[in-house]
Amino acid sequence: MKFLQNITAGNPRKLFKPFVLTVISNLLNILPFGLVLRGVYLIFEGFSRPETTLDIRGLWWVCAALVAYMVVIFLGEIPAYRACYRGAYEVAAEGRIHLAEHLRKLPLGFLMKRDPGDLANMMMGDFALLEQGISHVAPQIAGALVAPLLAVLGLSFLDWRMALAMFLPLPLGMVILGGTGGIMKLLGHRHMKAKIDAANRLQEYLNGIRVVKAYNLVGPRFERLQKAFYRFMKESIRIEGLGGAMVIPAIAFIRTGLTVSILAGSYLLLGGKLDPFVFVTFLIVGSRIFDPLTSALISFVLLRYFELAGERILALESEPVMTGTQKAPQKSDISFENISFSYQDAPALRHVSLHIPQGSLTALVGPSGSGKSTLLKLIPRFYDPQEGKILLGGENIRQMEPEKLLQRISMVFQEVYLFQDTLENNIRFGREDATSEEIREAARKACCHEFIDKLPRGYDTLVGEGGCTLSGGEKQRISIARAFLKNAPVVLLDEATASLDPENELQVQRAIDSLIQGRTVVVVAHRLKTIRRADNIVVLEKGRLLEQGRHDELLKLQGRYAGLWSIQQQSAGWSLAC
Amino acid sequence: MKTKQGISRLLEIAGERKGLLLLSGFLAVISAAFFLVPYAGAYFILAELLRHWNNLQSMDNTSIIRWGIYILLSLGGGMFFLYVSSMASHVAAFRILYGLRIRLIDHIGKLHLGYLTSTSTGSIKKTLEQNVEKIELFIAHQIPDFVNVVATVIIMFFIMFSMNVWMTLASLGAVVLGFALQASMTYGSKGKAMMKAYYDSLERINASAIQYVRGMPAVKIFGRTVFSFRRFHRDIQEYRTMVTKFTDQFQNGFVLFRTILASSITFVLPVGVLLLSRDPENTSLGLTVLFFIIMAPGASAPLYKIMYLAATLKDIQEGVSRIDAILRQPPVQEPLRSRKPASYEVTFDHVSFSYHTPESPHQIPALSDVSFEAPQGAITALVGPSGSGKSTAANLIPRFWDVNEGAIRIGGVDIRDMSTENLMNTVSFVFQDTFLFYDSLYENIRVGRPEASKEEVYAAARAAQCHEFISRLPHGYDTLIGEGGVYLSGGEEQRVSVARAILKNSPILVLDEATAYADPENEHHMQQALRELIRNKTVIVIAHRLHSIRKARNIVVLSEGRVAEEGNHETLLLRKGLYTKMWEIYNDTAAWAFRKGEDVA
Repeated sequence: MKFLQNITAGNPRKLFKPFVLTVISNLLNILPFGLVLRGVYLIFEGFSRPETTLDIRGLWWVCAALVAYMVVIFLGEIPAYRACYRGAYEVAAEGRIHLAEHLRKLPLGFLMKRDPGDLANMMMGDFALLEQGISHVAPQIAGALVAPLLAVLGLSFLDWRMALAMFLPLPLGMVILGGTGGIMKLLGHRHMKAKIDAANRLQEYLNGIRVVKAYNLVGPRFERLQKAFYRFMKESIRIEGLGGAMVIPAIAFIRTGLTVSILAGSYLLLGGKLDPFVFVTFLIVGSRIFDPLTSALISFVLLRYFELAGERILALESEPVMTGTQKAPQKSDISFENISFSYQDAPALRHVSLHIPQGSLTALVGPSGSGKSTLLKLIPRFYDPQEGKILLGGENIRQMEPEKLLQRISMVFQEVYLFQDTLENNIRFGREDATSEEIREAARKACCHEFIDKLPRGYDTLVGEGGCTLSGGEKQRISIARAFLKNAPVVLLDEATASLDPENELQVQRAIDSLIQGRTVVVVAHRLKTIRRADNIVVLEKGRLLEQGRHDELLKLQGRYAGLWSIQQQSAGWSLAC
Repeated sequence: MKTKQGISRLLEIAGERKGLLLLSGFLAVISAAFFLVPYAGAYFILAELLRHWNNLQSMDNTSIIRWGIYILLSLGGGMFFLYVSSMASHVAAFRILYGLRIRLIDHIGKLHLGYLTSTSTGSIKKTLEQNVEKIELFIAHQIPDFVNVVATVIIMFFIMFSMNVWMTLASLGAVVLGFALQASMTYGSKGKAMMKAYYDSLERINASAIQYVRGMPAVKIFGRTVFSFRRFHRDIQEYRTMVTKFTDQFQNGFVLFRTILASSITFVLPVGVLLLSRDPENTSLGLTVLFFIIMAPGASAPLYKIMYLAATLKDIQEGVSRIDAILRQPPVQEPLRSRKPASYEVTFDHVSFSYHTPESPHQIPALSDVSFEAPQGAITALVGPSGSGKSTAANLIPRFWDVNEGAIRIGGVDIRDMSTENLMNTVSFVFQDTFLFYDSLYENIRVGRPEASKEEVYAAARAAQCHEFISRLPHGYDTLIGEGGVYLSGGEEQRVSVARAILKNSPILVLDEATAYADPENEHHMQQALRELIRNKTVIVIAHRLHSIRKARNIVVLSEGRVAEEGNHETLLLRKGLYTKMWEIYNDTAAWAFRKGEDVA
């Protein structure tokens, strides 16, 4: 049952129709077999005794029935064919949508930690395997088992001793195969792991190609990719070699049934204890029954491998999603009450309590690793803290529906993701129902109208994967335009004014100036100068809140902030010189 | 380059492991012969029975038992040879796949960066993974299967012909008809067009999935449900519609093919009955008919194995053409003989360049007629508004792209006359977007000079101000970066990339200034790291913060791809030109602070 769950990514009912129709079409295929036996019988009758003559008429009838029956086979297979493919595509399409939907509900922090290449591979590659499993392999097994099963039944009625001889090795062979299943699964895991590893290293190679080239690491010299490919090759050969070494003897064993029954039959015939025609029937059935049986067994092994793909998908789908059902309140003051948070085992925040009044500007500062970015990320629920609670407008954000909460928050971060779409649609991401006019208005406020207008295709300009054709400052202004459009009362800023040329920086600064008016703003600051007018400056170190207050208050305190301030004053006058 | 296509191209690929594949084919033939023995055995036993039908007790059963044993032995032999044959072909296949992948990544690494920025990494990845993987099907399965089937059919028909020509022709007719159907289906113009559409749609949905996953954080932040995330949902549905149409297209032909293959006796028996009706007393003719009844399925059963041949072959060929499309991209031209510069000044000599990709045919000139010199051992700064071409100029030095006109020279040697390896050893780069590999910190630094000793790696880390934070990490230098390890802050990542460059210690440094990511302490560290890095080097810096380059020997001011002004800080300020204007803006932004309410002017 679990197997069926896995192979259909949790949707086993979808297998029902393809199965039934395939079984029916295979049942239809059995009748010609009877006709052939009838033909053989007639020939035997005609030639075995001198007194009888060959029943040519009867044989012609058999021929006619066979020819006519081709139509039946043809018509019987069409529904099976359609059901199998449709079922497979349905499982894949629905599964992909379901997985995409699930991904959406996972904590942002989880998503950002997972390798996107891995997730995308699950979305495409793993479902492609399931597709193949459902469209070809699973029904093939069902179908291929029908004839042998019926043969076992029918032949048992005909002569149980002969049937026993013919099919005795079958269950034994199956047991052997079943036993190898565990080993195959282990090998399959290793193979899958090697495959994923190769995929991740490849993604890394492509993403880091500039560094790869700059350090002469092109091609085989990029050892970790080369090694990953090599391991993948070895695992592929291993799974093929060991798999075959286990499956082929098992199959050979099952097929010995024909010989066993011939030996038993000849013994019985000599003793006169067997109708010779029954023996003929066994012989003909025996020479043909093992082919489909073998292919069913091979398919089953293949399916076990596909099962791993389903398992991976189901494992991801069992990751806990964000919960919460309430709406977010109108008020936008934020309170941290004794918050502790760790990434796995690494504590990032310890017992932080902080109040951020509505409409205020709060700056978080501290060395890298101090927890300032983590603190910021807890507000939109990238993660939920292990201890303490965060209140927005006096209510616990844990109880809020994540999307409703996010509607109240705009984020302007360093990394801006642009979709492969037009600039207009990229800005529209801030609010789906925005009109063209509103988009241009937001763009104007975010100081990006001018540069967009200068592009040959203006707002219809397509931006590439990851938005590689715009400069950093331009991308940031696009994200500010999105925030204007969204018009949320809380704005989270990860100071992103880094490395821009002055003109660009001026534009970004202007855009931020107007964005933050009248909103509750929390900013992670790197350059202390930019936050000297904040309402509250919070200094963090090693996950603890060290001091807080206005700029001049903190300077007077002569603590950590004052120290940082003086380092910054020193570096400000710095210049590259040989 | 390669012009071969289709099967001949596939065979060319397979030919890389000719020995193993010939062995595999040879064994496949032997195994095929063995697997025919049970059919023959069944026939001979039947013949024996028919001869003694009236007097079975008197029959000598040793011949029947002998056939039983033969069947058993042939089964073992057939299975054994099948296994060895399949192993040989799989080893060959996976080795070829490995070689192909290595060649692809090598080639991609030698292409201009423009190829990677204009082609989505998703589709390249798909080509390297799935399209390459599918070749395995051809080499490991289809070649031996094909050999096996052909051998079976030939042996079978050889025997059949010796027994009765007419019935042989009838069963041959079934096979030929079946394959003619397959061929007309996949190689017809309609089939070809369908195949192309199928691949395009597969590529689209792959790209779409990657974008969906990568863009997920943004999607979440803006509270978009998956259903309103129109593109992906629509693409999934579209893909599904497409593949359904695709399989419907092949439905009748495919089902008919199967029906014919399953009905081989239906083709043979009428001929047999016709012959019998003319000569009803001929016992040996009756036996022959029996033989055909038993053998006919034996001839067509193996054909099931290559049932998908035509369709999957097409599939594989499409994939190969995608692989070849990558391999056909012209790589960065390597000189026949690499010249080594004697000195290390960098000269731009009337350089013009424009980006042109297949996607944007209209050329946008990024640099026009740019000339300047970066003197050896001194700092030269490139400044200018965004889009002025300063980053482009820096990207031309490592030949991420090649100039359209003019030349870039190092010590008088055109960089196109230097081998890539030589050029990269001469120049190091510190980019704005740092990139750390999923590996230990130690290995990430060692990338700078793989033959460096442990001490040298540590020294570089110390000089780049990384040693302190690395020592604080749980596993020190062995700490893994990325999933399952630690994530460094932007400033730390930058310092690691500076450490790499320090370790590399090449005479020329191209620096995309990015020091501002860091918090005050980080910035301080970074400045010290850079001071270490630029010592005694020819430095070309793309500057964003003007004050940090005001002591540069030479400042080149670029505007819309042209050199607007050139000189040192003081002389440029005296000119009251573009640089002066930028300096004023810069000082404004430097004084900026987040402010609210009445503060805003």
